[in-house]
Amino acid sequence: MSATPSSARPLLAIPRRIGLVVIALADQLGGAGMLLGQVLVRLRPRRIDRYELFRNLHRMGVRSLPIIAATAAFTGGIMVIQAAPFVEKYNAKNFVGWAATFTTFRELGPLLIALIFNGRVGANNTAELGTMKVTDQVDALRALAIDPVGYLVVPRVIAMVVMMVALCVIGDAVALGGAVLTADLLLDVDPRIFLSSALERLDTWDFLVGLIKSLLFGLMIALMSCYYGLATRGGAPGVGRAVNASVVASAAGVFVADYLSTFVLE
Amino acid sequence: MIRLEDIHKRYRSPVLRGIDLHVPAGCIYALIGPGASGKSVLLKVVAGLVRPERGKVYVDGEELGELDDLGLASVRRKIGMLFQNYALFDMTVFENIAFPLRRLYDLPDTEVRERVAERLARVALPGTEDRDPSRMSGGQKKRIGVARATVARPPIVLYDEPTAGLDPVTSQKIYDLIRDEQRAQGTTVMVISSDVSGVLSIADRVGMLHEGELVFDGTAEEARDSTIPAVRQFVHGLVEGPL
Repeated sequence: MSATPSSARPLLAIPRRIGLVVIALADQLGGAGMLLGQVLVRLRPRRIDRYELFRNLHRMGVRSLPIIAATAAFTGGIMVIQAAPFVEKYNAKNFVGWAATFTTFRELGPLLIALIFNGRVGANNTAELGTMKVTDQVDALRALAIDPVGYLVVPRVIAMVVMMVALCVIGDAVALGGAVLTADLLLDVDPRIFLSSALERLDTWDFLVGLIKSLLFGLMIALMSCYYGLATRGGAPGVGRAVNASVVASAAGVFVADYLSTFVLE
Repeated sequence: MIRLEDIHKRYRSPVLRGIDLHVPAGCIYALIGPGASGKSVLLKVVAGLVRPERGKVYVDGEELGELDDLGLASVRRKIGMLFQNYALFDMTVFENIAFPLRRLYDLPDTEVRERVAERLARVALPGTEDRDPSRMSGGQKKRIGVARATVARPPIVLYDEPTAGLDPVTSQKIYDLIRDEQRAQGTTVMVISSDVSGVLSIADRVGMLHEGELVFDGTAEEARDSTIPAVRQFVHGLVEGPL
C-alpha cells in the first residue's frame, strides 16, 4: 500500500522518471568504466592474444578503408565548396588550402571518420559479442576456463584504438587530396598554391590534435560497443536493442569527448 | 565429487530454494523437471558460472565460493560442459574442438590433431574437421559440443539439455554417446533434460526440480515408482496433477 496521496502521484512521476534515467546512465557509465579497468589490468604484452589482435586489426581496419577513404575525400571536397563563396568574394585563394585542411585535420576528419567507424565497426562488434552472449558462447569460454575479457575484449579495444588512429592518418591524406582536386576544379586554385597555403599556416600540432581526438574516439567506440555487447540479454531482439544502444551511446560519447578535448587541446 | 548445500538463487523471483544435492564420483546424475524449474541455473552454479546468494558448492572437494578467479579457473579445467544451444564458436569443427587444448594446454600440434581426430571418430563425425558447424544439423552440432566438452578429458562433464530439438533416434544416439563416454573415461556426469524416458535410460541417479526445490532424489527405478504427485506426473507424462 502506497503512502503517497493519489493527487501527488503525477507530480512524482517526473522526478521518478529523471531518477530512473540518471540511474540507468550511471549504471551504463559505471559498467563501461569497470570494463576499461578490466582491460587496463590485462594490458600486458605477453597476455594479449596476438592471433585475435591481428584478426581484429584486419577486419576492423583494413576492411574499413574504402568507406573511410570515400568519407574523407568528400569531407575535404566539402570544406572547399563551403569556403568557395568567400574565396571568390574576397579573392582569398591563398587561404583556401589552410582553411580546408585546418578544419578537416583538427575537427571534421576525426569526427566523421569516428561516426562512420562507429556505424560500421562498433555496431558489428556489439552484434557479434551480443550474439555470443545470448547463444551462451561467452559462458562457454568461462566454462573452458578462458577469461572472456582477455580473449574477446582486450584485442578488440586495442585493434579499434590503433585502427581509428591509422584510419585518421589515411583519412587526412585522402581528404587533402579531395580538397586539392575540388579546389582545382571548382575555384581554379593551383594545387601548388593550395598545398603551400596549407603547409605554411598549418602547425604539426593541428595534425596531432586530430590524432589525439581519433584515439579518444576509438577508445570510446571500443568500450561502448564491447560493454553493450557483453551486457546483451533477451535473444535476437536483445541483440538488436544492444546494437542500437551501443551506436547511440558511442556517438554521444564521441561528441562529448570531442567537446572536452577541444577545450583541453586548444 | 559434486556437493551442493542449501543453494539459494534468485533473479526477479526465487529460482533455487535450498537445494541440497550430492553427485558421487563416476555417477550419471540426471536432473529433470518442467521448464523454468531452475535446472539450467543449477548446472551453471555447479560450473561456477553463476554464484548463489546462499549455500555452498563443492566440486572435487573445493568450495567454489572461497575461490578467486584463478582458483575458479583451475576448477573449471576439471569440468567440461555442453550447452543447450551448442555454444559453438564461429570457427571450423577442428578449431572448435581444439580450442580448449590450444588455449589451456601446451600440447604439440600433432597431438592436438590426433586428439581432435580421436574425438570426432568417437562422436561418429570422422573427417569433418574443416566443416563449418553452422552448416551442420542439430544432432551433429550436439556431437561436436560433446567432443569439445570432453577433448581435454575433464573428470566432470555437464550436459544442458543434450537432446533438445532432436528427433527420437538422434536423441537416443546422443544418450548412448553420453553413457559410452562416461564408461570409457570414468567421468562424473550431470545431465539436465526434459526428455524423461531418454535420460532415465542412462541415469544412475535422478533428481527432480520443481519451482526451485529438489522434490525428488533417488535412483531411476525409484523415480519411475515414485508416489510423489509431481514426480509421478512428470515421469509418466500425465495430464492430471500438480504441474
